[in-house]
Amino acid sequence: MSPPEVHHLFHNPIVDHSFSADQSTLAVTRETTVELYSKVGDAFKLKDELKGHDKTVTSVDIAPQSGRIVTCSQDRNALVWEPSPTGYKPTLVLLRINRAATFVRWSPSETKFAVGSGDRVIAVCYFEEENDWWVSKHLKKPIRSTITSVAWHPNSVLLAAGSTDAHARVLSSFIKGVDPRPPAGVWGERLPFNTVCGEYLNNSAGWVHSVAFSPSGDSLAFAAHDSSITVVYPTGPDQPPRAVVTISSQMLPFKSLLWSAEDEIIAAGYDCEAFRFQGSEAGWQLTGTIESKGRPGLEQREESALNMFRQMDLKGKAKDDTQLKTVHQNTVTMIRPYETSGDRVTKFSSSGVDGRVVIWSA
Amino acid sequence: MSIIQQHTSATLSDAWRTINIDALTEDSSLNFDTSTLHPPQPEISEAEVRQLAGQVRQLLRGGDPEGALRGCLETPVYNGEDAAKDAHMQTIIEVLQSIKASDMSPLLKSIYGTEGGSECLDVLMKYIYKGMAAVHPGNASRSPTKDASQGFSQVGGRPGANEPATAAMSVLLSWHEKVVEVAGLGCIGRTMTDCRRV
Repeated sequence: MSPPEVHHLFHNPIVDHSFSADQSTLAVTRETTVELYSKVGDAFKLKDELKGHDKTVTSVDIAPQSGRIVTCSQDRNALVWEPSPTGYKPTLVLLRINRAATFVRWSPSETKFAVGSGDRVIAVCYFEEENDWWVSKHLKKPIRSTITSVAWHPNSVLLAAGSTDAHARVLSSFIKGVDPRPPAGVWGERLPFNTVCGEYLNNSAGWVHSVAFSPSGDSLAFAAHDSSITVVYPTGPDQPPRAVVTISSQMLPFKSLLWSAEDEIIAAGYDCEAFRFQGSEAGWQLTGTIESKGRPGLEQREESALNMFRQMDLKGKAKDDTQLKTVHQNTVTMIRPYETSGDRVTKFSSSGVDGRVVIWSA
Repeated sequence: MSIIQQHTSATLSDAWRTINIDALTEDSSLNFDTSTLHPPQPEISEAEVRQLAGQVRQLLRGGDPEGALRGCLETPVYNGEDAAKDAHMQTIIEVLQSIKASDMSPLLKSIYGTEGGSECLDVLMKYIYKGMAAVHPGNASRSPTKDASQGFSQVGGRPGANEPATAAMSVLLSWHEKVVEVAGLGCIGRTMTDCRRV
Protein backbone atom coordinates (compact mmCIF):
# COMPACT_ATOMS: atom_id res chain seq x y z
CA MET A 1 0.00 0.00 0.00
CA SER A 2 1.52 3.26 -1.11
CA PRO A 3 1.59 6.22 1.26
CA PRO A 4 -1.00 8.96 0.77
CA GLU A 5 -0.17 11.83 -1.57
CA VAL A 6 -0.57 15.03 0.43
CA HIS A 7 -1.06 18.42 -1.21
CA HIS A 8 -1.23 21.33 1.17
CA LEU A 9 -2.70 24.01 -1.09
CA PHE A 10 -3.38 26.96 1.22
CA HIS A 11 -4.51 27.91 4.71
CA ASN A 12 -8.24 28.20 4.06
CA PRO A 13 -10.94 25.59 4.45
CA ILE A 14 -11.76 23.53 1.37
CA VAL A 15 -15.42 22.57 1.42
CA ASP A 16 -15.40 20.70 -1.86
CA HIS A 17 -12.92 19.57 -4.49
CA SER A 18 -13.13 17.84 -7.82
CA PHE A 19 -10.63 16.25 -10.20
CA SER A 20 -10.96 16.26 -13.97
CA ALA A 21 -11.24 12.86 -15.65
CA ASP A 22 -7.52 12.74 -16.55
CA GLN A 23 -6.65 13.91 -13.01
CA SER A 24 -4.48 16.73 -14.36
CA THR A 25 -6.78 19.47 -13.10
CA LEU A 26 -7.99 19.92 -9.56
CA ALA A 27 -10.75 22.37 -8.68
CA VAL A 28 -11.08 23.46 -5.06
CA THR A 29 -13.34 25.98 -3.40
CA ARG A 30 -11.66 28.86 -1.62
CA GLU A 31 -14.01 31.38 -0.06
CA THR A 32 -15.82 33.13 -2.95
CA THR A 33 -13.67 31.70 -5.72
CA VAL A 34 -12.87 28.32 -7.17
CA GLU A 35 -9.19 27.71 -7.80
CA LEU A 36 -7.98 25.44 -10.56
CA TYR A 37 -4.69 23.65 -10.02
CA SER A 38 -2.81 21.71 -12.64
CA LYS A 39 -0.38 18.92 -11.99
CA VAL A 40 3.27 19.86 -12.52
CA GLY A 41 5.48 16.92 -11.66
CA ASP A 42 4.34 15.73 -8.25
CA ALA A 43 2.82 18.99 -7.13
CA PHE A 44 -0.25 21.02 -7.98
CA LYS A 45 0.31 24.58 -9.20
CA LEU A 46 -2.34 27.30 -9.32
CA LYS A 47 -3.44 27.71 -12.94
CA ASP A 48 -6.67 29.69 -12.94
CA GLU A 49 -9.20 31.28 -10.66
CA LEU A 50 -12.92 31.17 -11.34
CA LYS A 51 -14.36 34.41 -9.99
CA GLY A 52 -18.07 34.89 -10.41
CA HIS A 53 -19.73 34.32 -7.07
CA ASP A 54 -19.94 37.04 -4.47
CA LYS A 55 -20.57 34.79 -1.46
CA THR A 56 -18.88 31.64 -0.20
CA VAL A 57 -18.75 28.88 -2.80
CA THR A 58 -20.32 25.76 -1.32
CA SER A 59 -19.73 23.12 -3.95
CA VAL A 60 -17.89 22.39 -7.21
CA ASP A 61 -18.09 19.55 -9.69
CA ILE A 62 -16.22 18.85 -12.94
CA ALA A 63 -18.07 16.81 -15.55
CA PRO A 64 -15.68 14.02 -16.56
CA GLN A 65 -16.54 13.89 -20.30
CA SER A 66 -17.31 17.50 -21.26
CA GLY A 67 -14.93 19.14 -18.80
CA ARG A 68 -17.61 21.66 -17.81
CA ILE A 69 -17.39 22.89 -14.25
CA VAL A 70 -20.47 23.68 -12.22
CA THR A 71 -20.24 25.71 -9.02
CA CYS A 72 -22.82 26.91 -6.54
CA SER A 73 -22.67 29.41 -3.75
CA GLN A 74 -24.39 31.02 -0.82
CA ASP A 75 -25.23 33.91 -3.18
CA ARG A 76 -28.08 31.61 -4.41
CA ASN A 77 -26.59 31.13 -7.85
CA ALA A 78 -25.04 28.32 -9.78
CA LEU A 79 -22.62 28.89 -12.62
CA VAL A 80 -21.63 26.55 -15.42
CA TRP A 81 -18.06 27.19 -16.59
CA GLU A 82 -17.51 26.19 -20.20
CA PRO A 83 -13.90 25.44 -21.16
CA SER A 84 -12.68 27.49 -24.13
CA PRO A 85 -9.25 28.23 -25.57
CA THR A 86 -9.22 31.59 -23.77
CA GLY A 87 -10.24 30.25 -20.40
CA TYR A 88 -13.47 29.30 -18.68
CA LYS A 89 -16.67 31.15 -19.65
CA PRO A 90 -19.35 31.31 -16.94
CA THR A 91 -23.07 30.95 -17.65
CA LEU A 92 -25.59 31.81 -14.99
CA VAL A 93 -28.22 29.21 -14.20
CA LEU A 94 -31.72 30.26 -13.20
CA LEU A 95 -32.17 28.41 -9.93
CA ARG A 96 -35.18 30.43 -8.66
CA ILE A 97 -34.28 29.88 -5.00
CA ASN A 98 -34.12 32.50 -2.28
CA ARG A 99 -31.76 30.78 0.12
CA ALA A 100 -28.17 29.60 -0.26
CA ALA A 101 -27.32 26.86 -2.73
CA THR A 102 -25.53 24.17 -0.75
CA PHE A 103 -24.51 21.31 -3.00
CA VAL A 104 -24.18 20.57 -6.70
CA ARG A 105 -23.45 17.43 -8.71
CA TRP A 106 -23.52 16.55 -12.42
CA SER A 107 -25.63 13.57 -13.36
CA PRO A 108 -23.61 10.68 -14.87
CA SER A 109 -25.13 11.53 -18.27
CA GLU A 110 -23.82 15.11 -17.86
CA THR A 111 -26.99 16.55 -19.38
CA LYS A 112 -28.33 17.62 -15.99
CA PHE A 113 -27.13 18.66 -12.60
CA ALA A 114 -28.87 18.92 -9.26
CA VAL A 115 -28.45 21.82 -6.84
CA GLY A 116 -29.46 21.37 -3.22
CA SER A 117 -30.46 24.48 -1.33
CA GLY A 118 -31.53 25.99 1.95
CA ASP A 119 -34.86 26.83 0.36
CA ARG A 120 -36.20 23.30 0.89
CA VAL A 121 -35.92 22.52 -2.81
CA ILE A 122 -33.56 20.70 -5.12
CA ALA A 123 -33.20 22.48 -8.45
CA VAL A 124 -32.69 19.98 -11.25
CA CYS A 125 -31.07 21.93 -14.06
CA TYR A 126 -30.84 21.08 -17.75
CA PHE A 127 -29.91 22.91 -20.91
CA GLU A 128 -32.72 24.20 -23.08
CA GLU A 129 -31.46 24.34 -26.65
CA GLU A 130 -34.22 26.65 -27.96
CA ASN A 131 -33.42 29.39 -25.48
CA ASP A 132 -29.70 28.62 -25.18
CA TRP A 133 -30.11 28.72 -21.42
CA TRP A 134 -29.82 26.49 -18.36
CA VAL A 135 -33.24 26.12 -16.73
CA SER A 136 -34.29 24.36 -13.57
CA LYS A 137 -37.20 22.34 -12.29
CA HIS A 138 -37.82 22.12 -8.57
CA LEU A 139 -38.06 18.96 -6.52
CA LYS A 140 -40.09 20.25 -3.61
CA LYS A 141 -42.15 17.60 -1.91
CA PRO A 142 -41.72 16.30 0.73
CA ILE A 143 -38.52 18.18 1.65
CA ARG A 144 -38.92 20.06 4.92
CA SER A 145 -35.49 21.53 5.44
CA THR A 146 -32.11 22.40 3.95
CA ILE A 147 -30.56 19.89 1.57
CA THR A 148 -27.03 19.02 2.69
CA SER A 149 -26.00 16.69 -0.09
CA VAL A 150 -27.24 14.99 -3.25
CA ALA A 151 -26.04 11.91 -5.12
CA TRP A 152 -26.96 10.52 -8.52
CA HIS A 153 -28.03 7.01 -9.37
CA PRO A 154 -26.06 5.53 -12.32
CA ASN A 155 -29.23 5.84 -14.48
CA SER A 156 -29.15 9.67 -14.17
CA VAL A 157 -32.83 9.76 -13.26
CA LEU A 158 -32.91 8.87 -9.59
CA LEU A 159 -31.47 11.31 -7.15
CA ALA A 160 -30.69 10.75 -3.48
CA ALA A 161 -30.79 13.72 -1.15
CA GLY A 162 -29.82 14.14 2.49
CA SER A 163 -31.47 16.86 4.48
CA THR A 164 -31.36 18.56 7.86
CA ASP A 165 -34.89 17.29 8.49
CA ALA A 166 -33.06 14.01 9.22
CA HIS A 167 -34.34 12.19 6.15
CA ALA A 168 -32.47 10.65 3.26
CA ARG A 169 -34.73 10.52 0.25
CA VAL A 170 -34.66 8.96 -3.17
CA LEU A 171 -36.51 11.07 -5.74
CA SER A 172 -37.04 10.90 -9.47
CA SER A 173 -35.66 13.77 -11.53
CA PHE A 174 -36.93 12.47 -14.87
CA ILE A 175 -37.14 15.23 -17.45
CA LYS A 176 -38.99 14.59 -20.67
CA GLY A 177 -36.90 15.18 -23.73
CA VAL A 178 -33.64 15.07 -21.80
CA ASP A 179 -33.64 11.63 -20.23
CA PRO A 180 -34.35 8.32 -21.92
CA ARG A 181 -37.02 6.33 -20.09
CA PRO A 182 -35.21 4.48 -17.29
CA PRO A 183 -35.62 0.73 -16.94
CA ALA A 184 -37.71 -0.40 -13.96
CA GLY A 185 -35.61 -1.26 -10.95
CA VAL A 186 -35.77 -1.81 -7.23
CA TRP A 187 -36.61 1.85 -6.64
CA GLY A 188 -39.69 1.95 -8.89
CA GLU A 189 -41.21 1.17 -12.26
CA ARG A 190 -42.78 4.39 -13.49
CA LEU A 191 -40.76 7.39 -12.49
CA PRO A 192 -42.36 10.73 -13.42
CA PHE A 193 -40.67 13.88 -12.07
CA ASN A 194 -40.75 14.21 -8.25
CA THR A 195 -41.80 10.60 -7.56
CA VAL A 196 -40.69 9.80 -4.02
CA CYS A 197 -39.11 6.35 -4.25
CA GLY A 198 -38.01 6.15 -0.65
CA GLU A 199 -37.77 8.15 2.55
CA TYR A 200 -35.51 6.91 5.31
CA LEU A 201 -34.43 8.11 8.69
CA ASN A 202 -32.38 6.44 11.36
CA ASN A 203 -33.32 5.92 14.99
CA SER A 204 -31.95 9.04 16.57
CA ALA A 205 -32.83 11.22 13.57
CA GLY A 206 -29.77 13.41 13.23
CA TRP A 207 -29.02 15.68 10.28
CA VAL A 208 -27.98 13.75 7.21
CA HIS A 209 -24.53 14.89 6.08
CA SER A 210 -23.93 12.69 3.09
CA VAL A 211 -25.73 10.21 0.82
CA ALA A 212 -24.44 7.78 -1.79
CA PHE A 213 -25.80 5.05 -4.05
CA SER A 214 -23.86 1.82 -4.23
CA PRO A 215 -22.03 1.18 -7.54
CA SER A 216 -24.96 -0.89 -8.84
CA GLY A 217 -27.43 1.73 -7.65
CA ASP A 218 -29.48 -0.89 -5.82
CA SER A 219 -28.73 0.28 -2.31
CA LEU A 220 -28.28 3.58 -0.57
CA ALA A 221 -26.01 4.66 2.26
CA PHE A 222 -26.20 7.81 4.32
CA ALA A 223 -24.16 9.32 7.14
CA ALA A 224 -25.88 11.35 9.82
CA HIS A 225 -24.86 13.65 12.63
CA ASP A 226 -25.41 10.93 15.23
CA SER A 227 -22.07 9.38 14.14
CA SER A 228 -23.87 6.62 12.31
CA ILE A 229 -23.99 5.17 8.85
CA THR A 230 -27.20 3.64 7.55
CA VAL A 231 -27.41 1.33 4.55
CA VAL A 232 -30.80 0.73 2.92
CA TYR A 233 -31.60 -2.26 0.69
CA PRO A 234 -34.93 -1.65 -1.07
CA THR A 235 -37.19 -4.52 -2.07
CA GLY A 236 -39.21 -2.93 -4.82
CA PRO A 237 -41.69 -0.15 -5.49
CA ASP A 238 -44.18 0.57 -2.68
CA GLN A 239 -42.73 -2.08 -0.39
CA PRO A 240 -40.76 -1.60 2.79
CA PRO A 241 -37.01 -2.07 2.30
CA ARG A 242 -35.80 -5.61 2.90
CA ALA A 243 -33.00 -4.44 5.15
CA VAL A 244 -32.01 -1.20 6.82
CA VAL A 245 -28.69 -1.55 8.61
CA THR A 246 -27.48 1.18 10.96
CA ILE A 247 -23.99 1.20 12.42
CA SER A 248 -23.56 3.60 15.33
CA SER A 249 -19.89 4.37 15.71
CA GLN A 250 -17.80 5.50 18.66
CA MET A 251 -16.36 8.29 16.55
CA LEU A 252 -17.41 11.83 15.79
CA PRO A 253 -19.89 12.25 12.91
CA PHE A 254 -18.94 11.56 9.30
CA LYS A 255 -19.22 14.41 6.78
CA SER A 256 -18.81 12.41 3.62
CA LEU A 257 -18.98 8.83 2.43
CA LEU A 258 -18.41 6.80 -0.72
CA TRP A 259 -18.88 3.21 -1.81
CA SER A 260 -15.55 1.73 -2.82
CA ALA A 261 -17.28 -1.52 -3.79
CA GLU A 262 -20.66 -3.16 -3.38
CA ASP A 263 -19.55 -4.46 0.03
CA GLU A 264 -17.37 -1.60 1.24
CA ILE A 265 -17.99 1.99 2.30
CA ILE A 266 -15.40 4.61 3.21
CA ALA A 267 -16.45 7.51 5.41
CA ALA A 268 -14.60 10.50 6.83
CA GLY A 269 -15.52 13.54 8.84
CA TYR A 270 -14.92 15.31 12.12
CA ASP A 271 -12.32 12.75 13.22
CA CYS A 272 -10.01 14.08 10.48
CA GLU A 273 -9.41 10.62 9.03
CA ALA A 274 -11.19 8.05 6.88
CA PHE A 275 -12.68 4.79 8.12
CA ARG A 276 -13.58 1.62 6.30
CA PHE A 277 -16.90 -0.20 6.70
CA GLN A 278 -17.54 -3.64 5.29
CA GLY A 279 -20.65 -5.74 5.12
CA SER A 280 -23.74 -6.77 3.27
CA GLU A 281 -27.48 -6.99 3.80
CA ALA A 282 -26.86 -9.21 6.81
CA GLY A 283 -24.90 -6.56 8.65
CA TRP A 284 -22.13 -3.99 8.46
CA GLN A 285 -19.07 -3.45 10.62
CA LEU A 286 -16.48 -0.79 11.03
CA THR A 287 -13.28 -2.59 10.06
CA GLY A 288 -10.71 0.09 10.74
CA THR A 289 -9.05 3.27 9.66
CA ILE A 290 -7.52 3.93 6.24
CA GLU A 291 -4.47 5.61 7.68
CA SER A 292 -1.80 3.19 8.73
CA LYS A 293 -0.63 4.75 11.94
CA GLY A 294 3.08 5.16 12.56
CA ARG A 295 3.97 5.57 8.92
CA PRO A 296 7.55 6.65 8.38
CA GLY A 297 7.71 10.40 8.15
CA LEU A 298 4.98 11.05 10.65
CA GLU A 299 6.77 9.41 13.54
CA GLN A 300 8.24 11.65 16.15
CA ARG A 301 11.95 12.16 15.70
CA GLU A 302 14.17 11.19 18.57
CA GLU A 303 14.48 14.37 20.58
CA SER A 304 17.89 15.51 21.75
CA ALA A 305 18.23 16.31 25.41
CA LEU A 306 19.01 19.91 24.59
CA ASN A 307 15.86 20.17 22.49
CA MET A 308 13.78 18.61 25.23
CA PHE A 309 14.96 21.05 27.87
CA ARG A 310 14.53 23.94 25.48
CA GLN A 311 10.93 22.89 24.83
CA MET A 312 10.33 22.52 28.57
CA ASP A 313 11.72 25.97 29.11
CA LEU A 314 9.79 27.64 26.28
CA LYS A 315 6.49 25.83 26.43
CA GLY A 316 6.47 24.07 29.76
CA LYS A 317 6.26 20.66 28.16
CA ALA A 318 8.66 18.24 26.54
CA LYS A 319 6.61 17.24 23.51
CA ASP A 320 5.04 19.47 20.92
CA ASP A 321 1.49 18.12 20.80
CA THR A 322 -0.10 20.73 18.58
CA GLN A 323 -0.15 18.31 15.64
CA LEU A 324 -2.79 15.67 15.16
CA LYS A 325 -1.56 12.18 14.40
CA THR A 326 -3.71 12.10 11.28
CA VAL A 327 -2.68 13.43 7.87
CA HIS A 328 -5.54 15.93 7.79
CA GLN A 329 -5.17 18.42 10.60
CA ASN A 330 -8.85 19.32 10.65
CA THR A 331 -12.27 18.01 9.63
CA VAL A 332 -12.45 16.14 6.34
CA THR A 333 -15.19 17.83 4.32
CA MET A 334 -15.42 15.69 1.20
CA ILE A 335 -14.16 12.37 -0.10
CA ARG A 336 -14.46 11.35 -3.75
CA PRO A 337 -13.39 8.41 -5.87
CA TYR A 338 -10.08 9.14 -7.64
CA GLU A 339 -9.18 5.96 -9.45
CA THR A 340 -11.25 2.89 -10.18
CA SER A 341 -10.43 -0.50 -11.60
CA GLY A 342 -13.39 -2.61 -12.58
CA ASP A 343 -16.11 -1.65 -10.14
CA ARG A 344 -13.78 -1.10 -7.21
CA VAL A 345 -12.47 2.26 -6.16
CA THR A 346 -8.72 1.78 -5.74
CA LYS A 347 -7.87 5.37 -4.84
CA PHE A 348 -9.88 8.20 -3.40
CA SER A 349 -9.22 11.84 -2.64
CA SER A 350 -10.17 13.86 0.40
CA SER A 351 -10.27 17.57 1.16
CA GLY A 352 -10.37 19.22 4.55
CA VAL A 353 -10.81 22.38 6.55
CA ASP A 354 -7.01 22.43 6.89
CA GLY A 355 -6.58 23.31 3.19
CA ARG A 356 -5.16 19.92 2.24
CA VAL A 357 -6.16 17.60 -0.58
CA VAL A 358 -4.94 14.06 -0.04
CA ILE A 359 -5.01 11.07 -2.39
CA TRP A 360 -5.31 7.72 -0.61
CA SER A 361 -5.16 4.16 -1.78
CA ALA A 362 -8.36 2.52 -0.62
CA MET B 1 -30.98 67.70 11.74
CA SER B 2 -27.99 66.36 13.56
CA ILE B 3 -26.13 63.30 12.43
CA ILE B 4 -27.28 61.33 15.45
CA GLN B 5 -30.93 62.01 14.68
CA GLN B 6 -30.47 61.03 11.06
CA HIS B 7 -28.91 57.83 12.16
CA THR B 8 -31.75 57.07 14.55
CA SER B 9 -34.44 57.62 11.98
CA ALA B 10 -32.57 55.46 9.52
CA THR B 11 -32.42 52.68 12.08
CA LEU B 12 -36.11 53.03 12.81
CA SER B 13 -37.06 52.74 9.19
CA ASP B 14 -34.98 49.57 9.08
CA ALA B 15 -37.57 47.86 11.25
CA TRP B 16 -38.54 45.66 8.32
CA ARG B 17 -35.26 43.87 8.80
CA THR B 18 -36.58 42.31 11.99
CA ILE B 19 -39.66 40.86 10.31
CA ASN B 20 -39.58 37.12 10.61
CA ILE B 21 -40.08 36.17 6.99
CA ASP B 22 -40.38 32.51 7.91
CA ALA B 23 -43.71 33.29 9.55
CA LEU B 24 -44.99 34.64 6.23
CA THR B 25 -43.85 31.69 4.14
CA GLU B 26 -46.60 29.17 4.05
CA ASP B 27 -44.60 25.97 4.23
CA SER B 28 -41.63 27.13 6.31
CA SER B 29 -40.55 25.19 9.35
CA LEU B 30 -42.21 27.82 11.54
CA ASN B 31 -45.62 26.96 10.14
CA PHE B 32 -45.01 23.28 10.25
CA ASP B 33 -44.91 20.89 13.17
CA THR B 34 -41.46 19.33 12.88
CA SER B 35 -42.32 16.63 15.40
CA THR B 36 -44.46 14.99 12.70
CA LEU B 37 -41.23 14.19 10.85
CA HIS B 38 -40.40 11.41 13.30
CA PRO B 39 -42.41 8.30 14.09
CA PRO B 40 -44.32 8.76 17.38
CA GLN B 41 -42.98 7.04 20.49
CA PRO B 42 -45.23 4.82 22.62
CA GLU B 43 -46.60 6.57 25.70
CA ILE B 44 -45.53 5.12 29.04
CA SER B 45 -47.59 5.80 32.15
CA GLU B 46 -46.33 6.37 35.67
CA ALA B 47 -47.86 3.09 36.86
CA GLU B 48 -45.82 1.17 34.30
CA VAL B 49 -42.68 2.97 35.41
CA ARG B 50 -43.36 2.09 39.06
CA GLN B 51 -43.96 -1.52 38.16
CA LEU B 52 -40.67 -1.63 36.25
CA ALA B 53 -38.89 0.03 39.17
CA GLY B 54 -40.13 -2.77 41.43
CA GLN B 55 -38.76 -5.41 39.08
CA VAL B 56 -35.46 -3.59 38.79
CA ARG B 57 -35.10 -3.38 42.58
CA GLN B 58 -35.76 -7.08 42.82
CA LEU B 59 -32.99 -7.78 40.30
CA LEU B 60 -30.65 -5.51 42.27
CA ARG B 61 -31.41 -7.35 45.49
CA GLY B 62 -30.91 -10.62 43.67
CA GLY B 63 -27.37 -9.54 42.80
CA ASP B 64 -27.88 -8.91 39.09
CA PRO B 65 -26.86 -5.26 38.56
CA GLU B 66 -26.36 -5.76 34.82
CA GLY B 67 -29.87 -7.10 34.37
CA ALA B 68 -31.24 -4.26 36.48
CA LEU B 69 -29.42 -1.60 34.46
CA ARG B 70 -30.37 -3.18 31.14
CA GLY B 71 -33.95 -3.50 32.32
CA CYS B 72 -34.35 0.21 32.88
CA LEU B 73 -32.32 1.27 29.84
CA GLU B 74 -34.36 -0.83 27.45
CA THR B 75 -37.58 1.03 28.23
CA PRO B 76 -36.68 4.72 28.29
CA VAL B 77 -39.64 7.06 28.87
CA TYR B 78 -39.56 9.15 25.68
CA ASN B 79 -43.22 9.96 25.71
CA GLY B 80 -44.99 10.31 29.03
CA GLU B 81 -45.93 12.64 31.82
CA ASP B 82 -43.21 14.46 33.72
CA ALA B 83 -43.95 12.36 36.78
CA ALA B 84 -43.30 9.17 34.85
CA LYS B 85 -40.09 10.59 33.38
CA ASP B 86 -38.82 11.69 36.79
CA ALA B 87 -39.72 8.39 38.40
CA HIS B 88 -37.78 6.51 35.75
CA MET B 89 -34.76 8.72 36.22
CA GLN B 90 -34.90 8.09 39.95
CA THR B 91 -34.85 4.34 39.30
CA ILE B 92 -31.84 4.67 37.02
CA ILE B 93 -29.92 6.85 39.48
CA GLU B 94 -30.68 4.35 42.20
CA VAL B 95 -29.24 1.54 40.08
CA LEU B 96 -26.19 3.61 39.17
CA GLN B 97 -25.52 4.45 42.81
CA SER B 98 -25.76 0.85 43.88
CA ILE B 99 -23.08 -0.38 41.47
CA LYS B 100 -19.50 -0.42 42.74
CA ALA B 101 -16.94 1.74 40.95
CA SER B 102 -14.80 -1.28 40.10
CA ASP B 103 -17.75 -3.01 38.43
CA MET B 104 -18.65 -0.11 36.13
CA SER B 105 -16.31 -0.72 33.20
CA PRO B 106 -16.75 -4.50 32.89
CA LEU B 107 -20.50 -4.08 33.16
CA LEU B 108 -20.64 -1.37 30.50
CA LYS B 109 -18.37 -3.38 28.20
CA SER B 110 -20.56 -6.43 28.52
CA ILE B 111 -23.69 -4.37 27.75
CA TYR B 112 -21.97 -2.69 24.78
CA GLY B 113 -20.93 -6.06 23.37
CA THR B 114 -24.46 -7.38 23.14
CA GLU B 115 -27.01 -6.64 20.45
CA GLY B 116 -28.65 -3.26 21.00
CA GLY B 117 -25.97 -2.47 23.59
CA SER B 118 -24.85 0.70 21.85
CA GLU B 119 -28.43 1.99 21.96
CA CYS B 120 -28.62 1.15 25.69
CA LEU B 121 -25.52 3.17 26.46
CA ASP B 122 -26.90 6.10 24.46
CA VAL B 123 -29.98 5.98 26.67
CA LEU B 124 -27.79 5.79 29.76
CA MET B 125 -25.90 8.87 28.57
CA LYS B 126 -29.18 10.75 28.14
CA TYR B 127 -30.16 9.94 31.71
CA ILE B 128 -26.72 10.91 33.01
CA TYR B 129 -27.08 14.35 31.43
CA LYS B 130 -30.66 14.66 32.63
CA GLY B 131 -29.52 13.67 36.09
CA MET B 132 -26.76 16.26 36.05
CA ALA B 133 -29.27 18.92 35.04
CA ALA B 134 -31.67 17.87 37.78
CA VAL B 135 -29.20 17.73 40.67
CA HIS B 136 -29.64 21.09 42.39
CA PRO B 137 -26.72 21.82 44.66
CA GLY B 138 -29.15 23.75 46.87
CA ASN B 139 -26.72 26.59 47.29
CA ALA B 140 -26.60 27.81 43.73
CA SER B 141 -26.64 31.41 44.93
CA ARG B 142 -23.35 30.96 46.72
CA SER B 143 -20.81 33.59 45.75
CA PRO B 144 -18.11 32.43 43.34
CA THR B 145 -15.32 33.66 45.63
CA LYS B 146 -16.32 31.27 48.36
CA ASP B 147 -16.50 28.53 45.77
CA ALA B 148 -12.96 29.21 44.67
CA SER B 149 -11.66 29.21 48.22
CA GLN B 150 -12.77 25.64 48.62
CA GLY B 151 -10.55 24.59 45.77
CA PHE B 152 -10.46 20.99 44.71
CA SER B 153 -11.95 19.49 47.82
CA GLN B 154 -15.51 19.94 46.58
CA VAL B 155 -16.27 16.31 45.98
CA GLY B 156 -15.04 15.28 49.38
CA GLY B 157 -17.32 15.64 52.38
CA ARG B 158 -18.16 19.27 52.55
CA PRO B 159 -20.05 20.12 55.71
CA GLY B 160 -23.57 21.17 54.84
CA ALA B 161 -26.94 19.99 53.74
CA ASN B 162 -26.09 19.23 50.12
CA GLU B 163 -24.21 15.99 50.61
CA PRO B 164 -26.71 13.74 48.80
CA ALA B 165 -26.73 16.07 45.79
CA THR B 166 -22.92 16.18 45.64
CA ALA B 167 -22.73 12.44 46.00
CA ALA B 168 -25.24 11.96 43.20
CA MET B 169 -23.25 14.31 40.97
CA SER B 170 -19.97 12.53 41.63
CA VAL B 171 -21.61 9.21 40.82
CA LEU B 172 -22.96 10.62 37.56
CA LEU B 173 -19.58 12.12 36.67
CA SER B 174 -17.74 8.86 37.13
CA TRP B 175 -20.38 7.01 35.11
CA HIS B 176 -20.08 9.64 32.39
CA GLU B 177 -16.34 9.02 32.17
CA LYS B 178 -16.80 5.26 31.97
CA VAL B 179 -19.53 5.45 29.33
CA VAL B 180 -17.37 7.67 27.11
CA GLU B 181 -14.50 5.19 27.52
CA VAL B 182 -16.68 2.38 26.22
CA ALA B 183 -19.05 4.02 23.75
CA GLY B 184 -16.79 6.84 22.54
CA LEU B 185 -17.53 10.46 21.76
CA GLY B 186 -20.17 9.32 19.29
CA CYS B 187 -22.34 8.56 22.31
CA ILE B 188 -22.29 12.21 23.44
CA GLY B 189 -23.01 13.33 19.90
CA ARG B 190 -26.02 11.06 19.70
CA THR B 191 -27.33 12.32 23.04
CA MET B 192 -27.24 15.87 21.72
CA THR B 193 -28.64 15.00 18.29
CA ASP B 194 -31.42 12.66 19.24
CA CYS B 195 -34.96 13.91 18.86
CA ARG B 196 -36.17 11.43 21.48
CA ARG B 197 -35.72 13.19 24.80
CA VAL B 198 -35.94 11.47 28.14
